[in-house]
Amino acid sequence: MKSYIFKRLGFMIVTLFVIVTATFFLMQLIPGTPFTNPEKLTEKQLVILNAKYGLDQPVAIQYLKYLGNLIQGDLGYSFQYDGRTVFSMIGDRIGPSAFIGLQALIFGSIIGLLLGVFSALRHNSVYDYLSVTIAVLGMSIPSFVFAALLQYYVGVKLEWLPVALWEGYSSTILPSFALSVTVIATVARFIRSEMLEVLGQDYVTTARAKGLNESAVIVKHVTRNALIPVVTMLGPLAVSIMTGTLVIEKIFSVPGLGEQFTLSILVLDYSVIMGITLFYSALFILVVFLVDILYGFLDPRIDYKGAEQA
Amino acid sequence: MRNKTWMAFIFLTIFALVLSGCNFNKPDTDKGSTDGKEGTTTEKGETAKVEQVLRLSASAEIPTMDSTKAHDGVAFNVLNNTNEGLYRQDENNESILALAEKHDVSEDETVHTFTLRKTNWSNGDPVTAADFEYAWKRVMREAGAYNYMLATAGIKNAEAIMNEEMDADELGIKATGDLTLEVTLESPNPLFVTLLAFPTFLPQNQQFVEELGDQYALEAENVLSNGPFKLVSWTHEQGWTLEKNEDYWDADNVKLDKVEVVVVKEPSTGANLYETGKIDRTVLTSALVQQYSDNEDFQIEKESGIIFLRFNHNHPVLGHPEIRRAVNMAIDRDGLTDIILQDGSTPLYGVVAGEYYFSPDGKDYRELNGDINKGTPEEAKALWEKTLAEIGEKEVNVSINIADSESHKKVAEYLQAQLEDNLPGFKLEIKAVPFAQRLEIEKAITYDLSLSSWGPDYSDPMTYLDMWVKGGSANRMDYDNPKLNNLVQQAYTETDLSKRFEMLLEIEKILLVEDAAIAPLYQTGVAILKRGTVKKLVKHPSGAEFSYKWASIEE
Amino acid sequence: MNTVKEVERIDSVKQNVAEPPDDLFVAAPLNRDVREEILTPSISFWKEARERLFKNKGAVFALIVLVILTLLALVGPAINEHTYRSQNLAHSNLPPKVDGLEWLGFNGKDVKGNDVYATRNIEENYWFGTDEFGRDLWTRVWKGTQISLFIAIVAAALDLVIGVLYGGISAFYGGRLDNVMQRIIEVLVGIPNLIVIILFILILEPGITSIILALVVTGWVGMARVVRGQILQLKGQEFILASRTLGASNTRLIGKHLLPNVMGPIIVTVMFTIPTAIFFEAFLSFIGLGLQAPLASLGVLIEDGYKSMRFFSYKLIFPAAVISLIMISFNLLADGLRDALDPKMRR
Repeated sequence: MKSYIFKRLGFMIVTLFVIVTATFFLMQLIPGTPFTNPEKLTEKQLVILNAKYGLDQPVAIQYLKYLGNLIQGDLGYSFQYDGRTVFSMIGDRIGPSAFIGLQALIFGSIIGLLLGVFSALRHNSVYDYLSVTIAVLGMSIPSFVFAALLQYYVGVKLEWLPVALWEGYSSTILPSFALSVTVIATVARFIRSEMLEVLGQDYVTTARAKGLNESAVIVKHVTRNALIPVVTMLGPLAVSIMTGTLVIEKIFSVPGLGEQFTLSILVLDYSVIMGITLFYSALFILVVFLVDILYGFLDPRIDYKGAEQA
Repeated sequence: MRNKTWMAFIFLTIFALVLSGCNFNKPDTDKGSTDGKEGTTTEKGETAKVEQVLRLSASAEIPTMDSTKAHDGVAFNVLNNTNEGLYRQDENNESILALAEKHDVSEDETVHTFTLRKTNWSNGDPVTAADFEYAWKRVMREAGAYNYMLATAGIKNAEAIMNEEMDADELGIKATGDLTLEVTLESPNPLFVTLLAFPTFLPQNQQFVEELGDQYALEAENVLSNGPFKLVSWTHEQGWTLEKNEDYWDADNVKLDKVEVVVVKEPSTGANLYETGKIDRTVLTSALVQQYSDNEDFQIEKESGIIFLRFNHNHPVLGHPEIRRAVNMAIDRDGLTDIILQDGSTPLYGVVAGEYYFSPDGKDYRELNGDINKGTPEEAKALWEKTLAEIGEKEVNVSINIADSESHKKVAEYLQAQLEDNLPGFKLEIKAVPFAQRLEIEKAITYDLSLSSWGPDYSDPMTYLDMWVKGGSANRMDYDNPKLNNLVQQAYTETDLSKRFEMLLEIEKILLVEDAAIAPLYQTGVAILKRGTVKKLVKHPSGAEFSYKWASIEE
Repeated sequence: MNTVKEVERIDSVKQNVAEPPDDLFVAAPLNRDVREEILTPSISFWKEARERLFKNKGAVFALIVLVILTLLALVGPAINEHTYRSQNLAHSNLPPKVDGLEWLGFNGKDVKGNDVYATRNIEENYWFGTDEFGRDLWTRVWKGTQISLFIAIVAAALDLVIGVLYGGISAFYGGRLDNVMQRIIEVLVGIPNLIVIILFILILEPGITSIILALVVTGWVGMARVVRGQILQLKGQEFILASRTLGASNTRLIGKHLLPNVMGPIIVTVMFTIPTAIFFEAFLSFIGLGLQAPLASLGVLIEDGYKSMRFFSYKLIFPAAVISLIMISFNLLADGLRDALDPKMRR
């Protein structure tokens, strides 16, 4: 196991290196530089500014320089927000994204779990169809529509919660709620499917035959085992939700990372693009790794020896 | 069981970590907003006095507070209200003396001597003439985004420094005393005073700037103010607060105590915040206009930006002026502004925006030159078919390069229908790309048609006219008419204002009447909601958008 | 495996029959030959699946709705004389109106209760209303449904082909291959999508091909991960071992034993891919890679409608209703399929 973990960690670094390299060169392929956006810069100024930041050098040189700085832990400065470090920008903005994402994840998983379990137990009944419908509405109506509806009815009409802005705990509720819709749908659908699978397994029949009462069977044997594959799905979902989502952050004026990322790409803020990509990929790879490990622990049927031998 | 405890522990830790990293923006807004609604009575028992707090929204974070590097509306806005230059735009958008008490001009109109008022920076240091010299040279040294403004102003050697032929230290500005500043121009420049109100010409405290180094202007405490307001707090990406600067030389005329700005990027969110009383003014997009059009706070504000079509002048068909004129005539601008956009935009048949620029005897530039290339669909069709026959083409397949914004997309869809319906054989394909790429495509001139916008830099028609000279960085369509190039050069130095104005009128005629070089579409405007209690919030057509100096809150 | 189960069941039934202690009946002699005989007719996997699918009320209902929607998508745009692109500014922003359906809200009145058709003197009825260009939304919604259905099918196909194969191969062969394949996925997820898309915009002609290309890049990654996870779990199980011992080839193992057992998660995942792809397309259209205006998919219509949803709610409601209906039907059908195809559900 130990050597497997070390091996994986080694691969993580290689993967990150490939991602960084590919992103760097792809990004440079897009015409323009970070100085394209201030529309009124003259050609002469562009030349001066590009030279000043080394953007006039061959991409390969720029890449090596970037790698050099990266190894020293320096992510560089933002071009768009003059003088701010990429590090501080990610640091400032990951908090709100992660917080909203986490709340959405917890709330969404609970509701999704209940819907999914209920649906599976009342298989092909009206309740099943109803909970399928709820879950499906969650995935077929985009979250920005939910967000706008919530904002209007709960924020403007009822005045229960803040409409937008980031001014204390109460302003995290609506965005979390809007974001949780996706989680609810995902968890509910997967749990339902897995539950049905597990319900047909021999060990469930055994448990029942043993005389365990139904609720114990459902909770201990069925739900728990049905949860295992859901973890595969939930891990990467958690990463993408907690690193921020453009629309929700925009609608609720949340100073999050998702909005920053899109903006940086659109204005070609090179260093910020690279910084966030690195951060996001590292997190994603780490979570995938953890899920794999966790999976091995939770499910004794999976064996990583094969991987070790390879 | 052990698993569960572990999980719970990990979860709690993550939660705590995340919460601590949340930096909620908890400014003193809470107090302000609750008191603000009710109005407070002062202790002396005077009649109820409204709290002088103005709450606004901004569409983006401030990219930089360094006046030498600033290049966008958000930053200009804050700089204009927290700092004071030699001149400032007044309520009628005229440049008036601000920090300069006296402005003497030499006989030949090339040496300008300014006498400054005795004022202090917000850290107590006196504002000196050297602060101007330092800042202006710094603009040149750092190749600040708007350094060409110094060249436009005609300051001695600015052009040469821009072209890296001279050192920034040789700029024609010199502090001749603590409070006297001498600026030398290349030649007399009628625009000089107008330009001085622009934020790029603000002073900077050398000692402060150099002490902070790369930390300068990154946080509220890392900038200095010498204007009507001080920047007291700035939470990145969330908002900032300005407070009245009691040490400002004209503080008696500043009525607001506080201006609170929050960053709101989604227009519908802005409208919802307005409805719940969180902000006092919000801009509505076309999609929201109908919903609020009978709201009592609904207003239309005119703006000075122009939206127009660039033609690729190298295109085999679009290169012909009469083809471009037919395109001009085929577009019904009224339908575009009144039915599709509905946001206060107005039809435009010229390159200089209307209602802002007047001749020395007070006549509107736009009215003097009138509507150019305006025609009926029938006229357009006739001209189109005739010219097409002359060229020997039957049909024209072109594409239009647009940015991926909501309004650009709408305009493009409208143009497509208008042109394809009114001009037989015209096929228009829409190609949307992100804003930066739209600019790159324009600069490379690899488009057929491009939907572009332009905002004026200063209050003079020239800001719309000199961009069309050959090789100008905003030409971007290979347009070249020597007559226009010469006339622009002459107008730069013409000091007889009415003669100069005649020249300006003539430039537009060459561009549009003679060459139909572009197709102007509309002049921008905004539909807004603004509380009736907000008075005299001055909005400028160019430079910084707002001046809060004269604004007040009244019952 | 299933046959064995059935034989046992038949056996036990026979024993039960044999037990009642009634003198009138004499236990039939146990015929050793019949013991191994299969009494129920042998039904092919697919036939049985089909039968089970049609017994599922939800699935049948969903199938009918899908057929109707598909027909409407094909025929709808041709029902009236408007095309999806013809503009008529005099008829801009008209609310929906259908004679006889006034009580359902198709009354031609705006949010404030004014009869827009009366005030603007318009004779013609627009069933789904019009947009700001005066384009008929009925036509546009069904035209959009065509496009969105097409994208749904393409996305599902990519998922089923690339995603399932990739995940399956990766997990089945395991070892170094799995390691490399999984790292490739991580790289694909790690490189920002938007950068790749912007590059596509600048290189390719916008249109359906570029949408599909964009989907090919990352659209199937979720599926590959799900399938891999499932197969990793299954491949160590006894029935696989048994089959392998009996000399089953790898292809047979994957196709006959592993994949049918992963059907559930595969179907659920496809159901997630479809709406993701539909809205991904809307996003692409917005930044220019997707369909070029004035062509609009359901996703684009929803995005447009959402902006003025409080005043012109109909602009949002119709496309949103159609897409929801499509998705609910797809899911009910998928659930039915899942039940029908899952070998473990065979009773």
